[in-house]
Amino acid sequence: MSEKVVQDKSELIKLESAKDLRRTMDDYFARLKEAAETRCRKIAWCTSVGPAELLYSMGFEVYFPENHGAMLGAGKNADKYIPSAVAHGYSPDICSYLTSDIGAFLQNETPLQKSGFSSVPRPDILVYNTNQCKEVEDWFSFYARYFKVPIVGIHTPLSISDVNPEIIKNVSAQYYRIIPELEKAAERKFDIDSFMETVGLSHDGCVLWKQVLQKARNHPSPINFFDSAIHMGPIVVMRGTSYAVEYYKILLAELEQRIEQNIGAVPRERFRIYWEGMPLWYKLSNLAKLFARLDTCIVASTYCNSWVFDDLDPADPFESSALAYSKLFIVRSDEVKENVLERLLQEFTIHGIIYHESKTCTRNSNNRFGMQNRLFKRTSIPYLEINGDLNDPRCYSEEQSIIAIETFIDQLSGQVK
Amino acid sequence: MYRLGVDLGSSYTKGVLVDENNRIIALHCVKSGYNFNNASMKIISYFAEKYKIEYPVYTCGYGREQIKTPFISNSELIALSKAVYEIYKCSCSIIDIGGQDTKFISVNSLGQVDKFKMNRKCAAGTGSFLEEIAFRLDVTPAEFTNLAKEATQEVKINSFCTVFAISEIIGMIKNGATLPNIIIGIYNSIILRSIELSLVEDRLVITGGLPAMHPTIVTLFKKRYPYSDSPEYSQFLAAYGCILLNSVKKIDSPHPLNPSPKREEEFPLL
Repeated sequence: MSEKVVQDKSELIKLESAKDLRRTMDDYFARLKEAAETRCRKIAWCTSVGPAELLYSMGFEVYFPENHGAMLGAGKNADKYIPSAVAHGYSPDICSYLTSDIGAFLQNETPLQKSGFSSVPRPDILVYNTNQCKEVEDWFSFYARYFKVPIVGIHTPLSISDVNPEIIKNVSAQYYRIIPELEKAAERKFDIDSFMETVGLSHDGCVLWKQVLQKARNHPSPINFFDSAIHMGPIVVMRGTSYAVEYYKILLAELEQRIEQNIGAVPRERFRIYWEGMPLWYKLSNLAKLFARLDTCIVASTYCNSWVFDDLDPADPFESSALAYSKLFIVRSDEVKENVLERLLQEFTIHGIIYHESKTCTRNSNNRFGMQNRLFKRTSIPYLEINGDLNDPRCYSEEQSIIAIETFIDQLSGQVK
Repeated sequence: MYRLGVDLGSSYTKGVLVDENNRIIALHCVKSGYNFNNASMKIISYFAEKYKIEYPVYTCGYGREQIKTPFISNSELIALSKAVYEIYKCSCSIIDIGGQDTKFISVNSLGQVDKFKMNRKCAAGTGSFLEEIAFRLDVTPAEFTNLAKEATQEVKINSFCTVFAISEIIGMIKNGATLPNIIIGIYNSIILRSIELSLVEDRLVITGGLPAMHPTIVTLFKKRYPYSDSPEYSQFLAAYGCILLNSVKKIDSPHPLNPSPKREEEFPLL
């Protein structure tokens, strides 16, 4: 055994709500499984920031392939599946959620099999929004061809500076336009009251999720990025349901209690970091431990903040949906993004920023067009860039990244009092 | 008692021994191989023959925690910056080219790291890139340097990838390019990969095993950046910086790596 003279390590403290999260997610998958097996309810596949409210309001069970992609990544299996998709003509340079998900499908494997699924739940319709990227359309098109089911989508303008009335009109019109196809697949009529109620629930869930994330403004923060990346599950897959609302009430209460008791997610929090970019799903636990050992808490992230749709308004469900889903960080201009980041850096008292340049996800790699330099000029907050990928571990050099992260924290220690 | 700094790098393990005034007494370098502890033990045994070593030893590099004697580990980037600052006493940019990593470090006027960046997960632009090409061309590092002196023009190596760079070189040989000119092309390819890490806006200090072994690279850097320099034995600077980071003593020499009568000169070349 190595003898290290200074070997004082910080331990992570797990959230008690994790068991409620588990139950909430298990119940979600049980509902999906029942629908898949008995066809008692129709199943829609939806992109993670797609029109989930519309789908839940029409009685669909909603399955999110991106959530499945993250499960493949977190299960450290993506690199087993990606080659199958590549062999079928999908480039290893495109979204590794897509390639790992399609690869797993081609190999007839899914982590859902552990929960008794025979395969991923067969869709009755596929619904996307290109606000996050164009690749989701290509991804869903694969399954539309395979299952021979309809695919409908909302095409959101890119690099939006001002979410103006023209954009709202354009996007809300697309919401209206997909309804007839959804009605056919749902075998029921669209009901405005149900949609308003779902949008209301989505709003409430998002507000609670925002409150959860904002608890990290406290010193020490009661929650870190690695917790949030897991606990965001319900706001991604159950947005627009009471299940998400109920879960975030539980989580919020625990965080409030932690703040009262001065319990930090990282017990000896000294450095507060902002994470820009996707998580490295296959290294969540390793990175969580590394940062805890360095007395560093990642208190805020673009990724987790991306599911705050608090502009949703049940009184105006179509236009507020268009507003909320076009106001999303990823679809905004660099100027708007920089303003958002600058505000978050102040709000969360950030000492340093880590940009994760994800090899297969350009839209979530904001350091590719010089933003890191511009933001540094504006804020003087030091930053570190690490190279990796959301799902493909072959793109990540762990040893080199550890050295870089340790050095970055060392660098900050000379500046943070 | 003498204090020891060890940089356990991906290709080589470098040791620096200093006296009570932080003056360098001896240097030693061995291949890291697959066992970092063995490599560091070779360093320790080498020094222990003549000197009494004080523990803990100060480590950095990939194998910084793989050593079975009491140690204090450090960041190699911070350690390297510390040593460079002790030499130059001013703000500067460092480009360090090692076996697997190429690093850019910006050091401010207080000697602190302001910014740094490391190469992507790619061998092009690192020592491994050159080693692989030298192996394929069946040319030793010493021959590489000598051949470079005979170059009459610079050829461009465009490839980003080590394997495809070799294919490109084979194509050039077929088309009549001379080996010395190709070698200059290879050196320039490494330089281009390293300078894309960040803008060099002040004095440039070039360090690491590769420039130490291939001094022509330093000459080529100087053509681009007249205000640049590479201290002697720069591949040992990170190991030396480890000691400095854990020391309150001031160094009296402006350039601690300048040869001194006490220095062991017989350490093997990389």
